[in-house]
Amino acid sequence: MPNTLVQSLHNATKNTPENSAFTFGKETLTYTQLATKTDQLAAHLVASGLRKGDRVGVYMFRCLETAIAIYGVLKAGCTYVPLDPSLPMQRIAYLLNNCGIHHLVSHPNLRKKLLKIVELKTPLTSIIGLSDIDSIATFSWDIIYSKDNNFKPISILENDVAYIMFTSGSTGHPKGIVHTHASGLSYAKLAVKTFNITPKDRIANHAPLHFDISTLGYLAAPLACATTVIISDAHTKLPASLATLINDEKISIWYSVPLALIQLLQSNALKNKNLNSLRLVLFGGEIFTNKYLAQFMTLYPKAKYYNVYGPAEVNQCTCYEIKCPPTLDEIIPIGTVWDETQYKILDKKDNIGELAIHSSTMMREYWKNLTLTKASFYLDTTSNPPKKFYKTGDVVKLNEDGNLLFLGRNDRQLKIRGYRIELDEIEATLLTHKDILEAAVVSLSISDSTQEILAAILTPHDNSLTAKEIQKYCGLSMPKYAIPNKVVFMDDLPRTGSGKINRKAIAQTYKTY
Amino acid sequence: MEAVLLNYITQLTHEQLDTPLTVDDDLLGSGILDSIGMMKLVSFIETELSMVIPPEDILIENFMTVKHIITYLKTT
Repeated sequence: MPNTLVQSLHNATKNTPENSAFTFGKETLTYTQLATKTDQLAAHLVASGLRKGDRVGVYMFRCLETAIAIYGVLKAGCTYVPLDPSLPMQRIAYLLNNCGIHHLVSHPNLRKKLLKIVELKTPLTSIIGLSDIDSIATFSWDIIYSKDNNFKPISILENDVAYIMFTSGSTGHPKGIVHTHASGLSYAKLAVKTFNITPKDRIANHAPLHFDISTLGYLAAPLACATTVIISDAHTKLPASLATLINDEKISIWYSVPLALIQLLQSNALKNKNLNSLRLVLFGGEIFTNKYLAQFMTLYPKAKYYNVYGPAEVNQCTCYEIKCPPTLDEIIPIGTVWDETQYKILDKKDNIGELAIHSSTMMREYWKNLTLTKASFYLDTTSNPPKKFYKTGDVVKLNEDGNLLFLGRNDRQLKIRGYRIELDEIEATLLTHKDILEAAVVSLSISDSTQEILAAILTPHDNSLTAKEIQKYCGLSMPKYAIPNKVVFMDDLPRTGSGKINRKAIAQTYKTY
Repeated sequence: MEAVLLNYITQLTHEQLDTPLTVDDDLLGSGILDSIGMMKLVSFIETELSMVIPPEDILIENFMTVKHIITYLKTT
């Protein structure tokens, strides 16, 4: 068994050199081709002066080169940092500075944005993947691939950092989840074992790189010598096109947030589509409304269905197989922990409490944030040596049958289309606006599967700030999905007896707004 | 219709576009619209033109750019 993600790719190249590793549209890379191209990228990065542990930004939409970027960066002994191309410039600048990123791997279709990025105050010195930006050193893929392939492998240890994924942080800045080769590979091993992934499998990668669901396709598939079909950004937005792709690509394993499957159902796109190759449907990131899950399971009864659970900090930690279409009122469990994983329910009362996880798949820390790292772990001193448990913030209940039920959050984190949003981050951002005196952000349930974000704002009396201007202001520094859907102006924010803003009352007032 | 569409899509993005939207900009592959934005755009067109767009027509080849949308609308 390999000890690092790089060894995992190396093994696949040896065992199944001609198997397709990744495909995107009409393009395909076999394991041999992927090995060569990632050697070439790694050689270039090392020649550029990058040393072990340096961070390299991967700034790309879904495309074939994402796979080359990830494994090229890892082979160079560096850490890949996925950067969501739809992020506003302020946030990109923050991430580039926070991670000290000098080199970016990108794509020509991001040229317009890259022209803006090179103007930001950041440590960036070169961009790989395109050639025509004057103000910075650029290296097109053709240049990278034209070099002789004489890359000398770098010694990589399992505790070296492999990747950092950023997610919403309640203080107003994103927080970086640091995973090592050991934690990433451990996830890959457990996923391959649990889901019995084989070289024949064709795994649909629906999630963008900065979303931890993508680790099944990018990290677990190569360990199993399987093929990952990278779904284009355009396909993720148009269910009718997506259904055709699943059909044509003979996808055997699907993993996404429930919304993608719900959209397939709602758009009627599955009519006349043969999805018989689908053997496994995994979903996670948020709750799959029973009504839709039952519909999907009835349409494709041959596939196995798993509710997958795990914050990005631990990759995955539990899963639950759903054997028959659920009724409307049952709560589908998140199951129980898989191998190499232990859990505790903290502050347990009536079998309900906060879920804490100790696992080989667990992150090392939050990037450059010792305080938050310390606060996020619970140290179990009853074991020898003491064990670190990651406190998920998720409230669970232990059922009589040994399965865990997800009941909600113990803080103000929210999931919209699987994306984690800290309502406090939105409030913190709003309060940086000079004309906003007070702000309260709450979530509203629009239907049984959708939530919206509402911001209640207090401005000075003579102020003419509009809802649109406020949304635009949020968009300057936060991802699109975190921009409040609705903005309301209040003369006074309601208060609780102790003088705190009464967010529940605001949510109640505007629940049908 | 072209101007109406360009204006509506620009609004959907909360005016966060790096350069003014053109009829040739890739709406789907370059992050201008997300899946919710796409659904809003379809229902906007349906309301504006008092028509129903069949789900099976909501394909990449019909909705990639504003130009594609205009061409599609002309053929229906």
